[in-house]
Amino acid sequence: MHGEYKTPGGKLVVADFEVESERFRDVVVSGDFFLYPEEALEAITGAVEGLAVTSGEGEIAQAVEAAIPDGTEMLGFSPEAVAIALRRGLAS
Amino acid sequence: MTAEHEALYPLEVEERWKAFEWELIPAYPEDPAMNLALDEVLTRTVGSGERKPTLRFWAWTTTAVILGRFQSVRNEVQIENAAEAGVKVVRRISGGGAMFIEPPLAITYSIHVPPAFVEGLSFPQSYAFFDSWVIEALRELGIDAWYAPLNDITSAGGKIGGAAQARKYGGVLHHTTMAYDMNIPTMMQILRIGQEKLSDKGLRSADKRVGPLRQQTNLPRETIIERMTESFVRRTDAVPGKVTVEERAEAEELVRTKFDTEAWTYLLP
Repeated sequence: MHGEYKTPGGKLVVADFEVESERFRDVVVSGDFFLYPEEALEAITGAVEGLAVTSGEGEIAQAVEAAIPDGTEMLGFSPEAVAIALRRGLAS
Repeated sequence: MTAEHEALYPLEVEERWKAFEWELIPAYPEDPAMNLALDEVLTRTVGSGERKPTLRFWAWTTTAVILGRFQSVRNEVQIENAAEAGVKVVRRISGGGAMFIEPPLAITYSIHVPPAFVEGLSFPQSYAFFDSWVIEALRELGIDAWYAPLNDITSAGGKIGGAAQARKYGGVLHHTTMAYDMNIPTMMQILRIGQEKLSDKGLRSADKRVGPLRQQTNLPRETIIERMTESFVRRTDAVPGKVTVEERAEAEELVRTKFDTEAWTYLLP
Protein backbone atom coordinates (compact mmCIF):
# COMPACT_ATOMS: atom_id res chain seq x y z
CA MET A 1 0.00 0.00 0.00
CA HIS A 2 1.19 3.49 -0.80
CA GLY A 3 -0.18 6.85 0.28
CA GLU A 4 1.14 10.40 -0.10
CA TYR A 5 0.22 13.71 1.46
CA LYS A 6 1.80 17.09 0.93
CA THR A 7 1.20 19.56 3.74
CA PRO A 8 0.07 22.83 2.11
CA GLY A 9 3.11 25.13 2.08
CA GLY A 10 5.11 22.26 3.59
CA LYS A 11 6.67 18.97 2.59
CA LEU A 12 5.63 15.59 1.20
CA VAL A 13 5.06 12.57 3.45
CA VAL A 14 4.95 9.12 1.87
CA ALA A 15 3.68 6.00 3.65
CA ASP A 16 4.42 2.51 2.28
CA PHE A 17 3.07 -0.47 4.20
CA GLU A 18 1.35 -3.86 4.18
CA VAL A 19 -1.90 -4.81 5.86
CA GLU A 20 -1.93 -8.05 7.85
CA SER A 21 -4.83 -9.17 10.06
CA GLU A 22 -6.34 -5.70 9.66
CA ARG A 23 -3.21 -4.04 11.06
CA PHE A 24 -0.49 -1.77 9.58
CA ARG A 25 2.71 -3.80 9.01
CA ASP A 26 6.18 -3.06 7.59
CA VAL A 27 5.47 0.66 7.67
CA VAL A 28 8.00 2.93 5.96
CA VAL A 29 7.51 6.69 6.30
CA SER A 30 9.58 8.82 3.94
CA GLY A 31 9.55 12.23 2.28
CA ASP A 32 11.33 15.54 1.75
CA PHE A 33 10.61 16.78 5.27
CA PHE A 34 13.09 17.76 7.99
CA LEU A 35 13.25 15.90 11.27
CA TYR A 36 15.58 16.50 14.21
CA PRO A 37 16.91 14.25 15.58
CA GLU A 38 16.80 11.87 12.63
CA GLU A 39 16.29 8.86 14.93
CA ALA A 40 12.77 10.14 15.66
CA LEU A 41 11.75 8.56 12.34
CA GLU A 42 11.97 5.14 14.01
CA ALA A 43 9.67 6.35 16.78
CA ILE A 44 7.17 7.58 14.17
CA THR A 45 7.07 4.31 12.20
CA GLY A 46 7.13 2.31 15.44
CA ALA A 47 4.06 4.17 16.67
CA VAL A 48 2.07 3.15 13.61
CA GLU A 49 3.33 -0.41 13.24
CA GLY A 50 0.61 -2.81 14.42
CA LEU A 51 -2.14 -0.18 14.74
CA ALA A 52 -5.55 -1.34 13.57
CA VAL A 53 -6.34 -0.16 10.05
CA THR A 54 -9.72 0.95 11.37
CA SER A 55 -7.92 3.68 13.38
CA GLY A 56 -9.05 7.14 12.38
CA GLU A 57 -6.77 10.00 11.40
CA GLY A 58 -7.01 11.48 14.88
CA GLU A 59 -6.06 8.21 16.59
CA ILE A 60 -3.08 7.64 14.30
CA ALA A 61 -1.87 11.22 14.77
CA GLN A 62 -2.23 10.86 18.53
CA ALA A 63 -0.18 7.64 18.54
CA VAL A 64 2.59 9.37 16.56
CA GLU A 65 2.50 12.45 18.78
CA ALA A 66 2.79 10.30 21.91
CA ALA A 67 5.76 8.34 20.52
CA ILE A 68 8.05 11.16 19.40
CA PRO A 69 10.69 12.07 21.99
CA ASP A 70 10.52 15.46 23.74
CA GLY A 71 12.38 18.14 21.83
CA THR A 72 11.79 16.54 18.42
CA GLU A 73 11.42 19.10 15.60
CA MET A 74 9.18 18.13 12.68
CA LEU A 75 9.57 20.72 9.92
CA GLY A 76 7.20 20.77 6.96
CA PHE A 77 5.05 17.91 8.28
CA SER A 78 3.21 16.77 11.40
CA PRO A 79 1.70 13.71 13.09
CA GLU A 80 -1.54 14.58 11.25
CA ALA A 81 0.28 14.54 7.88
CA VAL A 82 1.64 11.05 8.62
CA ALA A 83 -1.88 9.91 9.51
CA ILE A 84 -3.37 11.32 6.29
CA ALA A 85 -0.70 9.61 4.15
CA LEU A 86 -1.49 6.26 5.84
CA ARG A 87 -5.25 6.67 5.46
CA ARG A 88 -4.76 7.56 1.80
CA GLY A 89 -2.68 4.40 1.36
CA LEU A 90 -5.56 2.30 2.61
CA ALA A 91 -7.90 3.93 0.13
CA SER A 92 -5.53 3.34 -2.81
CA MET B 1 16.65 44.33 2.24
CA THR B 2 12.90 44.06 2.04
CA ALA B 3 10.74 44.15 5.12
CA GLU B 4 9.81 40.57 4.34
CA HIS B 5 13.46 39.53 4.55
CA GLU B 6 14.24 41.55 7.67
CA ALA B 7 11.41 39.93 9.55
CA LEU B 8 12.86 36.45 9.10
CA TYR B 9 15.42 36.71 11.93
CA PRO B 10 16.58 39.28 14.52
CA LEU B 11 19.10 41.49 12.72
CA GLU B 12 21.48 41.68 15.69
CA VAL B 13 22.59 38.10 14.95
CA GLU B 14 24.33 39.49 11.83
CA GLU B 15 27.18 40.40 14.21
CA ARG B 16 27.89 36.69 14.61
CA TRP B 17 29.42 36.42 11.14
CA LYS B 18 32.37 38.54 12.30
CA ALA B 19 32.43 37.10 15.82
CA PHE B 20 33.90 33.87 14.38
CA GLU B 21 37.02 33.23 12.31
CA TRP B 22 36.21 31.52 9.02
CA GLU B 23 37.83 29.41 6.36
CA LEU B 24 36.65 29.28 2.79
CA ILE B 25 37.37 26.11 0.78
CA PRO B 26 37.08 26.71 -2.96
CA ALA B 27 35.43 24.19 -5.27
CA TYR B 28 37.38 21.08 -6.15
CA PRO B 29 35.67 18.32 -8.16
CA GLU B 30 34.81 15.36 -5.96
CA ASP B 31 32.90 12.13 -6.43
CA PRO B 32 29.27 12.56 -5.21
CA ALA B 33 29.77 10.19 -2.26
CA MET B 34 32.98 12.02 -1.35
CA ASN B 35 31.16 15.37 -1.27
CA LEU B 36 28.68 13.92 1.21
CA ALA B 37 31.41 12.31 3.31
CA LEU B 38 33.27 15.65 3.46
CA ASP B 39 30.05 17.29 4.67
CA GLU B 40 29.91 14.87 7.59
CA VAL B 41 33.63 15.06 8.43
CA LEU B 42 33.81 18.87 8.30
CA THR B 43 30.70 19.16 10.46
CA ARG B 44 32.43 16.95 13.01
CA THR B 45 35.79 18.79 12.94
CA VAL B 46 34.03 22.16 13.25
CA GLY B 47 31.80 20.77 16.00
CA SER B 48 34.81 19.54 17.99
CA GLY B 49 36.68 22.82 17.52
CA GLU B 50 39.51 21.28 15.45
CA ARG B 51 38.43 23.39 12.47
CA LYS B 52 37.19 26.97 12.19
CA PRO B 53 33.70 27.60 10.87
CA THR B 54 33.93 26.81 7.17
CA LEU B 55 32.27 27.55 3.85
CA ARG B 56 32.98 24.95 1.17
CA PHE B 57 31.90 25.27 -2.44
CA TRP B 58 31.18 21.94 -4.11
CA ALA B 59 32.20 20.68 -7.53
CA TRP B 60 31.39 17.31 -9.01
CA THR B 61 33.06 14.67 -11.13
CA THR B 62 29.80 13.14 -12.32
CA THR B 63 26.05 13.59 -12.64
CA ALA B 64 24.17 12.50 -9.54
CA VAL B 65 20.91 12.37 -7.65
CA ILE B 66 21.41 13.47 -4.04
CA LEU B 67 18.51 12.15 -1.97
CA GLY B 68 17.38 13.79 1.25
CA ARG B 69 18.01 11.82 4.46
CA PHE B 70 14.36 10.71 4.73
CA GLN B 71 13.51 10.01 1.09
CA SER B 72 12.76 6.61 -0.38
CA VAL B 73 14.90 5.68 -3.40
CA ARG B 74 12.15 4.09 -5.44
CA ASN B 75 9.70 6.88 -4.76
CA GLU B 76 12.15 9.51 -6.00
CA VAL B 77 14.34 7.89 -8.64
CA GLN B 78 13.68 5.96 -11.85
CA ILE B 79 16.41 3.55 -10.85
CA GLU B 80 16.84 1.77 -14.20
CA ASN B 81 17.05 5.01 -16.15
CA ALA B 82 19.61 6.37 -13.69
CA ALA B 83 21.74 3.23 -13.98
CA GLU B 84 21.54 3.30 -17.77
CA ALA B 85 22.55 6.96 -17.91
CA GLY B 86 25.40 6.42 -15.45
CA VAL B 87 23.80 8.75 -12.90
CA LYS B 88 25.05 8.06 -9.39
CA VAL B 89 22.38 7.88 -6.65
CA VAL B 90 23.54 8.88 -3.15
CA ARG B 91 21.93 9.85 0.16
CA ARG B 92 22.96 12.89 2.20
CA ILE B 93 22.78 13.41 5.98
CA SER B 94 20.35 16.36 5.80
CA GLY B 95 16.61 16.24 5.16
CA GLY B 96 14.77 17.87 2.28
CA GLY B 97 14.20 16.94 -1.34
CA ALA B 98 16.17 15.17 -4.07
CA MET B 99 18.61 17.24 -6.07
CA PHE B 100 19.43 16.26 -9.65
CA ILE B 101 22.94 17.57 -10.23
CA GLU B 102 24.69 17.93 -13.54
CA PRO B 103 28.10 19.34 -12.64
CA PRO B 104 28.06 22.54 -14.73
CA LEU B 105 24.42 23.35 -13.99
CA ALA B 106 24.37 23.67 -10.21
CA ILE B 107 26.03 25.87 -7.60
CA THR B 108 26.27 24.10 -4.24
CA TYR B 109 27.95 25.07 -0.98
CA SER B 110 28.07 23.87 2.62
CA ILE B 111 28.46 25.96 5.75
CA HIS B 112 29.75 24.26 8.89
CA VAL B 113 29.43 26.05 12.24
CA PRO B 114 29.39 25.32 15.96
CA PRO B 115 25.91 25.43 17.55
CA ALA B 116 26.69 28.86 19.13
CA PHE B 117 26.37 30.46 15.68
CA VAL B 118 22.63 29.75 15.57
CA GLU B 119 21.91 29.77 19.31
CA GLY B 120 18.52 31.23 20.15
CA LEU B 121 17.29 31.12 16.54
CA SER B 122 14.40 28.91 15.49
CA PHE B 123 15.06 26.52 12.63
CA PRO B 124 13.26 28.74 10.08
CA GLN B 125 15.18 31.80 11.30
CA SER B 126 18.49 29.98 11.01
CA TYR B 127 17.80 28.95 7.40
CA ALA B 128 17.31 32.57 6.34
CA PHE B 129 20.30 33.73 8.40
CA PHE B 130 22.72 31.18 6.86
CA ASP B 131 21.89 32.28 3.31
CA SER B 132 21.70 36.05 3.91
CA TRP B 133 25.08 36.69 2.22
CA VAL B 134 23.81 34.88 -0.89
CA ILE B 135 20.69 37.02 -1.05
CA GLU B 136 22.98 40.05 -0.88
CA ALA B 137 25.21 38.69 -3.66
CA LEU B 138 22.22 37.95 -5.89
CA ARG B 139 20.89 41.46 -5.35
CA GLU B 140 24.26 42.87 -6.38
CA LEU B 141 23.93 40.80 -9.54
CA GLY B 142 20.65 42.57 -10.24
CA ILE B 143 18.26 39.83 -9.10
CA ASP B 144 15.53 40.91 -6.68
CA ALA B 145 16.04 37.77 -4.60
CA TRP B 146 14.54 36.95 -1.22
CA TYR B 147 14.26 34.06 1.19
CA ALA B 148 11.00 32.09 1.09
CA PRO B 149 10.64 30.06 4.31
CA LEU B 150 11.33 27.36 5.11
CA ASN B 151 14.26 26.75 2.82
CA ASP B 152 13.98 28.40 -0.60
CA ILE B 153 15.91 31.18 -2.30
CA THR B 154 13.57 32.76 -4.81
CA SER B 155 12.92 35.85 -6.95
CA ALA B 156 10.25 37.34 -9.16
CA GLY B 157 11.96 35.39 -11.96
CA GLY B 158 11.33 32.08 -10.18
CA LYS B 159 12.80 29.76 -7.55
CA ILE B 160 16.59 29.77 -7.55
CA GLY B 161 17.60 27.23 -4.93
CA GLY B 162 16.93 25.33 -1.74
CA ALA B 163 18.73 24.64 1.52
CA ALA B 164 18.91 21.76 4.00
CA GLN B 165 20.42 21.44 7.45
CA ALA B 166 21.72 18.66 9.64
CA ARG B 167 22.48 19.12 13.32
CA LYS B 168 24.78 16.30 14.34
CA TYR B 169 28.34 15.38 15.25
CA GLY B 170 28.52 18.38 17.59
CA GLY B 171 28.08 20.87 14.75
CA VAL B 172 25.56 22.39 12.39
CA LEU B 173 25.61 21.78 8.64
CA HIS B 174 23.71 24.05 6.28
CA HIS B 175 24.00 23.42 2.57
CA THR B 176 22.33 25.02 -0.38
CA THR B 177 21.99 24.10 -4.04
CA MET B 178 21.07 26.70 -6.63
CA ALA B 179 20.13 26.09 -10.26
CA TYR B 180 22.57 27.73 -12.67
CA ASP B 181 20.81 26.11 -15.58
CA MET B 182 18.32 23.26 -16.01
CA ASN B 183 18.10 20.20 -18.19
CA ILE B 184 14.46 19.36 -17.61
CA PRO B 185 14.09 16.50 -20.15
CA THR B 186 16.98 14.57 -18.54
CA MET B 187 15.79 15.39 -15.04
CA MET B 188 12.36 13.97 -15.85
CA GLN B 189 13.99 10.74 -17.08
CA ILE B 190 15.82 10.29 -13.79
CA LEU B 191 13.57 11.67 -11.06
CA ARG B 192 10.10 10.43 -10.31
CA ILE B 193 7.59 13.20 -9.81
CA GLY B 194 4.52 11.71 -8.14
CA GLN B 195 0.96 12.84 -8.57
CA GLU B 196 0.86 14.41 -5.10
CA LYS B 197 3.94 16.50 -5.84
CA LEU B 198 2.42 17.44 -9.19
CA SER B 199 -0.33 19.07 -7.18
CA ASP B 200 1.89 22.10 -6.75
CA LYS B 201 5.22 21.14 -8.33
CA GLY B 202 4.20 19.75 -11.70
CA LEU B 203 6.59 19.78 -14.62
CA ARG B 204 4.77 22.54 -16.42
CA SER B 205 4.47 24.72 -13.37
CA ALA B 206 7.98 23.80 -12.16
CA ASP B 207 9.26 24.76 -15.56
CA LYS B 208 7.75 28.20 -15.13
CA ARG B 209 8.41 28.46 -11.43
CA VAL B 210 12.16 27.78 -11.52
CA GLY B 211 14.35 30.71 -12.51
CA PRO B 212 17.90 29.40 -13.06
CA LEU B 213 20.69 31.93 -12.51
CA ARG B 214 21.92 31.87 -16.10
CA GLN B 215 18.50 32.94 -17.28
CA GLN B 216 18.27 35.66 -14.63
CA THR B 217 21.81 37.08 -14.98
CA ASN B 218 23.28 36.10 -18.36
CA LEU B 219 26.56 35.65 -16.48
CA PRO B 220 28.98 32.70 -16.52
CA ARG B 221 28.71 30.33 -13.56
CA GLU B 222 32.23 31.21 -12.38
CA THR B 223 31.39 34.91 -12.23
CA ILE B 224 28.41 34.21 -10.01
CA ILE B 225 30.56 32.09 -7.67
CA GLU B 226 33.18 34.89 -7.57
CA ARG B 227 30.55 37.43 -6.58
CA MET B 228 29.18 35.08 -3.93
CA THR B 229 32.71 34.57 -2.59
CA GLU B 230 33.23 38.37 -2.38
CA SER B 231 29.96 38.74 -0.50
CA PHE B 232 30.90 36.00 1.97
CA VAL B 233 34.43 37.35 2.59
CA ARG B 234 33.09 40.87 3.11
CA ARG B 235 30.74 39.53 5.73
CA THR B 236 33.12 37.14 7.53
CA ASP B 237 36.76 38.10 6.66
CA ALA B 238 37.16 34.40 5.78
CA VAL B 239 40.62 33.22 4.78
CA PRO B 240 41.29 30.56 2.12
CA GLY B 241 41.41 27.04 3.51
CA LYS B 242 41.56 23.45 2.39
CA VAL B 243 40.49 20.01 3.48
CA THR B 244 43.30 18.58 5.64
CA VAL B 245 45.03 15.29 4.88
CA GLU B 246 43.42 13.78 8.00
CA GLU B 247 39.94 15.00 7.04
CA ARG B 248 40.31 13.60 3.54
CA ALA B 249 41.44 10.22 4.88
CA GLU B 250 38.49 10.15 7.25
CA ALA B 251 36.11 11.06 4.43
CA GLU B 252 37.56 8.37 2.15
CA GLU B 253 36.93 5.84 4.89
CA LEU B 254 33.33 7.09 5.24
CA VAL B 255 32.80 6.73 1.49
CA ARG B 256 33.82 3.06 1.82
CA THR B 257 31.85 2.31 4.97
CA LYS B 258 28.78 4.51 4.50
CA PHE B 259 28.13 6.87 1.61
CA ASP B 260 29.00 4.45 -1.19
CA THR B 261 27.19 1.49 0.37
CA GLU B 262 23.79 0.07 -0.57
CA ALA B 263 22.93 -0.10 3.12
CA TRP B 264 23.06 3.71 3.42
CA THR B 265 21.73 4.65 -0.02
CA TYR B 266 18.81 2.22 0.33
CA LEU B 267 18.25 2.99 4.01
CA LEU B 268 14.70 3.87 2.91
CA PRO B 269 14.27 1.67 -0.18
